[in-house]
Amino acid sequence: MKRLLTLDTLATGLAAFLLLSIGLVILIGRQLGIRSTVDLPDNDLVGPYQVITLTFSEEVDPNLTEKLWNLQPQVDGRIDWPSPRTLRFTPSRPLQPDTDYQLTLRPGDVTPTGRQLKRSSTWTFRVRAPLITVLRSADGVSAIWAVNLDGSDSHRLTSESVKVICYDTARSGDFLVYCAANKQGGIDLWRVSRAGGDDTILVNCGSDRCTVPAISPDGMRVAYTREAVGPSPELPYGSPRTWMLDISNGQNSPVYEDQQIIGYGPAWSPDGSRLVSFDGLSKQIRILNLTDQKQFIFSSMTGDAFTWSPDGSIFLFTDTQEGADGLHTLVRRADLTINKTDDLIGQNDKMDYSYGSLAWSPSGERVLLGMRTAVDKPGDSLWLFDPATLDGPTIVSKEEYTYNAPKWNPWGTALVFQQFKLRGEYTPEIGLWVDGEVQSHLLTEGLVPHWLP
Amino acid sequence: MPGSLFAWLWERLNLFATVFLGIFIEAVPYLLLGTLASGLVEMFVNREQMARLIPRGGLGSALAGAVLGLAFPVCECGVIPLTRRLFSKGLPLSAGVAFLLAAPVFNPIVIFSTAAAFGWGRMLFWRLGLTLVFAVVVGFIFSFEKDGGKVLKVAAPVLDLQPKPKVSLPVAEKMRQALIIATDEFFEMGRYLIVGAMLAAAMQTFVPQASLLAIGNGPLLSVLVMLTLAIVLSICSTVDAFVALGFVGSFSFGSILAFLVFGPMVDIKSIMMYRQVFKSRVVLYLVLLPFLMSLLSGLIFNYLVP
Repeated sequence: MKRLLTLDTLATGLAAFLLLSIGLVILIGRQLGIRSTVDLPDNDLVGPYQVITLTFSEEVDPNLTEKLWNLQPQVDGRIDWPSPRTLRFTPSRPLQPDTDYQLTLRPGDVTPTGRQLKRSSTWTFRVRAPLITVLRSADGVSAIWAVNLDGSDSHRLTSESVKVICYDTARSGDFLVYCAANKQGGIDLWRVSRAGGDDTILVNCGSDRCTVPAISPDGMRVAYTREAVGPSPELPYGSPRTWMLDISNGQNSPVYEDQQIIGYGPAWSPDGSRLVSFDGLSKQIRILNLTDQKQFIFSSMTGDAFTWSPDGSIFLFTDTQEGADGLHTLVRRADLTINKTDDLIGQNDKMDYSYGSLAWSPSGERVLLGMRTAVDKPGDSLWLFDPATLDGPTIVSKEEYTYNAPKWNPWGTALVFQQFKLRGEYTPEIGLWVDGEVQSHLLTEGLVPHWLP
Repeated sequence: MPGSLFAWLWERLNLFATVFLGIFIEAVPYLLLGTLASGLVEMFVNREQMARLIPRGGLGSALAGAVLGLAFPVCECGVIPLTRRLFSKGLPLSAGVAFLLAAPVFNPIVIFSTAAAFGWGRMLFWRLGLTLVFAVVVGFIFSFEKDGGKVLKVAAPVLDLQPKPKVSLPVAEKMRQALIIATDEFFEMGRYLIVGAMLAAAMQTFVPQASLLAIGNGPLLSVLVMLTLAIVLSICSTVDAFVALGFVGSFSFGSILAFLVFGPMVDIKSIMMYRQVFKSRVVLYLVLLPFLMSLLSGLIFNYLVP
């Protein structure tokens, strides 16, 4: 026996055993067929725009495989194949809250050679409850906080060591991008996850100021405003220019090659194909189509208040016009499909209502507009109107308050906004209006509210 | 036609030179480190110490050899001269072979580079785990061979399987001797590194990766393609995780794992260097057994693991 246990016999025996095992694994593997896994959070709670990724154990035929895929209740969306083994579904409309979704992959042929999915696979998930994020300051350091819709469970997301100046939340609700002052006097861009506490720098801007980040709807890019530091400390910063960071590969460059084009406060169209910015010098709103590089330019004296229709075909913005008793603001409508602009609201006003704070509901049938209520009173109101009939209720109006920064939730059923009391002690507050309520109510203290779906 | 043939050849030769230099320059520092370690071992480690440190049993000895890489962070080029030197100091065959196979992965540099590429997760866990298992299994088999002369090439100039009398030298002199040994060994093994790098460069120049990748579909072929790539690319284990990262999405987890486990154990340049230490049939075992084990593990992941 001992004579058999030599290096040569053992090595040969092991090689033979391995060959047999390889054959056996292939045999069993073929019996089992092709397998699939889905990329979903462990707790099965997803964001309203959750991208669903199915990975197959080997390459499959897209046409055959898509016939076996089924998501109930049905959701509008787009299927693409990043690789021959990976199916990706991106919802074009938000998944509904309080709904159990069931994704099923039925058995069947998935390759032209007859390789099969032999077993049915089912995954279930629900949309998680959204949070509201706000900026709050303590001891001169501002941070991003998240709260529940009832104002409970208030918790800080960003690190104690950074001073947040501005921020945006991803449509997926998975992360935020914020700007924070650095030691060189500039402003950097940072990223933090929904859970918070894992801040990582995205763009080190050195002495430049990188502000107003806007995350693209697919969460892959961040547009922002960059102001270059002056050649010497006593000289002012350069003009604001729009830059874009591709999160996937770190590519970071100006959006416009032409140095003459300046712009502030970039914002994305709902489908992420176009980018808006406002040139405060030439008083122009510029829309860049990122697909064909075509530009639409609208003159606007105000510029910073605009909104898109959910399908991206209509663009509303504010402007001013000279009236008999001075300048009046008005709301203009640009139909991008026919390249035509007209006045929507304010052309016949007898007083200046100081229109601003535009926000088109994602459901499409309502637009929120901030406006003054009277010439002799400083207070604002928020008016919710139907863009087809210009009818609708005022959801909040108090003489001593002013309102701005309204943000709809992904379903268009609720909105948060900033409210400031004009008299008395200054405490920035966040208001919440929920569909069905006559008036809004106070949610929490803070600034710059956003939804974190 | 001759003009276009000449242009094609010129382009291929340029590519060959670039790839060769890439492989060679990447590997040389590690060969230097390995030979330096070898010189230091020769001058500062004696057989008694080795006998005390390494367990006597076949399995224990193989296991000790497999984790020895944590103390000697060398990649596949540097590990060969070091192993040869450790053999001359009385390291058991089982421990030496396990060290040879495991050290290019089971060392701090490669652990951190793999974690940097894939995170502290599944890929790192399985890469380390499988490397350890494969190295211990192969090392254990070698524990059944008691005659080192049947495994090792005794003709190699630095290999001395006989115990040497104790010599007591000052540390400075020992360091000088260690450097001399390291230099001699560097030039000796460097020749085989050059030949191996040239072969690998030739394979990459005349067998384009794209052709290999194009046939890499399916659970079996994808693993075979990645194992072939591991041999052909001859990438140092300190950086191979970043190369493997490029295959994520195109290749399955099992195929990439097989690449990451097998590549550091066997590639063209290491085969050339193995031939200077081991007899031909042993080189065959050192190539074939890790190949089959990597293939089997890749297939298990591709076929059976969800």
